[in-house]
Amino acid sequence: MSIRSMIESVVGELELKKRWRQLKARKKQLPESHRKAHDAVERYLMYSAGIADGAILTAMAEDLLDLFEQGAADGTPVSAIVGDDPVEFAEEFARNYSEGAWIKKERARLEDAINSITDGDLDKLDHRKDES
Amino acid sequence: MGKQMTEMLKGTLEGIVLAFLTGNPAYGYEITAWLRSQGFTDIAEGTVYALLVRIEKNGLVDVEKRPSEKGPPRKVYSLNADGEKYLEEFWTTWGFLAERLENLRTEGK
Repeated sequence: MSIRSMIESVVGELELKKRWRQLKARKKQLPESHRKAHDAVERYLMYSAGIADGAILTAMAEDLLDLFEQGAADGTPVSAIVGDDPVEFAEEFARNYSEGAWIKKERARLEDAINSITDGDLDKLDHRKDES
Repeated sequence: MGKQMTEMLKGTLEGIVLAFLTGNPAYGYEITAWLRSQGFTDIAEGTVYALLVRIEKNGLVDVEKRPSEKGPPRKVYSLNADGEKYLEEFWTTWGFLAERLENLRTEGK
């Protein structure tokens, strides 16, 4: 790692820490019901979304908080924000950040593996079928 | 909203929202309120929000932040050229699907 990239990563870490502190302070401002709902969805996302990239994780947390802050400001009740299926809502929400998920590497590996299977292999398969 | 409706809406909500935004910039709450007025009464605000985050990421809309009297600034979404292209494709696909399904229904009688 070069000195420059080391400095950049430290500055990046500090920037993220600052954003998390701001998030924490904003959460406290939410009305109780919205805060409880927000915390429950956030907890679920932290476990289920499997996001390994700190910057994307932070962006996801900020977007989620924006939603609940806006809902609270508009007087939208929690039930109308998350709908009848909170898990479905959380999963749908998380899909927007899948580029930061640890599973991304495995997805790419699966795609590469499938794409590397050539027509030649298919010809062999047809051939075998003809013989039987 | 029934399970079937939720499933079917998943594939079409994007087009519906883009169609609403045509010539009509709006923010999340307005979009949800309009959808409810159109009969999608149980649609969750969060579902619409997740969709807006997605179409913004995919570059189909332009976003402008406007200060609001209460709460955080509102993000106002407007359709851009890529969004128009996407919407055109959506209507073509929808036309195909609707025609095929109608044929299936009438053939069955």
